[in-house]
Amino acid sequence: MASFSRSWKHVLLIFVLTIYTAYTAGPLFWVALMSLRTTTEIAHNPYALPETLHLWKFSEAWVNSNYSVYFANSVKVVLSAVAIITLVGGMAAHCFARYRFPLRKVLYFTIFSTIIFPPQITIIALFQILVEYGLYNSLVGLMLSYVAFQLPITVYILESFFARIPADLYDAARMDGYSEWQIFWKVSMPVALPALSTTIILNTILLWNEFLYAVVLITDESKRTLPLGIQKFMGDQLEDIGMISTGLMIAIIPVVIIYVFFSERLIQGMTAGAIK
Amino acid sequence: MAFVTLDGITKVYENSREPAVKDISFEVRDGEFMVLLGPSGCGKSTVLRMIAGLETISGGDLRIDGERMNSVPAKDRDIAMVFQSYALYPHMKVRDNLAFGLRRRGISRSDINRRIEQVAESLGLTPYLDRKPHALSGGQRQRVAVGRAIVRDPKVFLFDEPLSNLDASLRVSTRNELVNLHNRLGATTIYVTHDQVEAMTMGTRICIINDGKLVQIGPPMEVYRKPVNTFVAGFLGSPPMNLIEAELKSGADGAFKLDIGTQCIELPEAWISYLQGKSGKIIFGIRPEDIFLSGQDMKRGANAAVTMTVTAVEALGAETIIIFELEGVDTKVFVKADRYTRANIGDTMPLSIDMGVARLFDPVTTKVISNNTQLSG
Repeated sequence: MASFSRSWKHVLLIFVLTIYTAYTAGPLFWVALMSLRTTTEIAHNPYALPETLHLWKFSEAWVNSNYSVYFANSVKVVLSAVAIITLVGGMAAHCFARYRFPLRKVLYFTIFSTIIFPPQITIIALFQILVEYGLYNSLVGLMLSYVAFQLPITVYILESFFARIPADLYDAARMDGYSEWQIFWKVSMPVALPALSTTIILNTILLWNEFLYAVVLITDESKRTLPLGIQKFMGDQLEDIGMISTGLMIAIIPVVIIYVFFSERLIQGMTAGAIK
Repeated sequence: MAFVTLDGITKVYENSREPAVKDISFEVRDGEFMVLLGPSGCGKSTVLRMIAGLETISGGDLRIDGERMNSVPAKDRDIAMVFQSYALYPHMKVRDNLAFGLRRRGISRSDINRRIEQVAESLGLTPYLDRKPHALSGGQRQRVAVGRAIVRDPKVFLFDEPLSNLDASLRVSTRNELVNLHNRLGATTIYVTHDQVEAMTMGTRICIINDGKLVQIGPPMEVYRKPVNTFVAGFLGSPPMNLIEAELKSGADGAFKLDIGTQCIELPEAWISYLQGKSGKIIFGIRPEDIFLSGQDMKRGANAAVTMTVTAVEALGAETIIIFELEGVDTKVFVKADRYTRANIGDTMPLSIDMGVARLFDPVTTKVISNNTQLSG
């Protein structure tokens, strides 16, 4: 009787998981199928499987639709933004977690409070600031905006991790003759690697897919990032769904690769300290 | 090799009016194993951290080899410390943990390797050199922490409750290892603990701290046998010294008597000089092993007879603790008897007290009334 009810539980569990997987992975699978079909084929039957695999669409998008440029732009902006966020965020988190200085709590609260504002609120002001400083329509301007946008949450995640590193470890390093700067590099950062990996992956994925800031702050064709490049296929009269799907797949591939390689680290970082 | 001098060391934390450490002065001699003993939160770790340079010193002078160290940074004091949590760098292998402090000091790579091999060999860590701390047992981690201190060959070793995270059996063996290590290296060592057994067995001298103040300092047996106040008497020993309220009375013949509840005992003649002019309430202190059941061996001369009633018997295997009630006295009296003793609750027994090692304390100041130097030992 017991084994019967257990097997029913398994069936129910598998059923729920199947529904959930179809719900989340379904659209991705659909886009993947469409990326191998032409817009005409899709218009004829949106949900059909590809009759012939139009792999040429990927080279078409990469070479003729300027995707190589968008891809390079995205790589430049995202990599430099993530590097700066990680470095500055790590330093800030280290200081907040380790030192007691005047106005520490006020400063921390101010930084943290910016998380609660939706990006739409600040975008007009940001636009104005970038225009005034000559950073509008430049990759540097976009990258700095990304840094400002993602820094608070990164500091928040890292600070809670740094705060859990035992103070004895720092004291031991001080006794071993290391300066505060060296302790940050040789103790804090390596010990916080799981948390750093988490923020690196989350920030990379988020900024790689970022659209709102990019569409407002970039107008030049040669400075578009991947999400903007995909938008190019959405005209007023016609939407080239086939090419949009191909573009989306090109944009997704690096994210999938990062996730596949670093997912274990990501989970480690998210659950670090949860269990002893 | 070095000697460490604390002269009126005081620590006041920010946002706190009350000092955590008050005017502590003592000297740790060259090669000495000094134990700082006290209850949790008494300030002993703060003293150690001030010596290490991890806490600033609010008042007084700290000297190592006569050189004032108050404002010298931790890294330049040539001190190594073993932390309670071991504080091993989790991302480094044992080898790198040992080498970390040496690399900073401009020591050649070959010299570092030689020293690591040597220390690892002496502590039995050679098979674990390429493991990370999480792959080691508690005892092995503790040895790595000790190794990290030894490998630097510092002037002074500091230990901050290094055994408190080990289980009971490992604690005993590690305690012996640390004592042997100290005997071998002969290094000046300051060791903080709240465990009196560690203090008694390891220290050349014990420095007892309570409420931020130095209470007593001396060799373990001296501190144990001659506590200067009721705190030390009650803190050291398991069970601790019996502290019984009594009434001191001087007789017509100049001799002193002590009323303990409904019973009266005569004090040794040798005490007369200390007790002149004193009378009234007093605290009578006697260790559980200095009260004897009739028939059990008492080698000392001066003794006093009392009768007490058994309220509990704790047979511990190696010895038996009998807890007595004294008529007219609230506090229970603990007696350490040998393992063959048989006693039943409710039994009334005659006992002898070795007055030669008894102590009298002032109930107001809690200080010992005489130093009893010629009596105790």
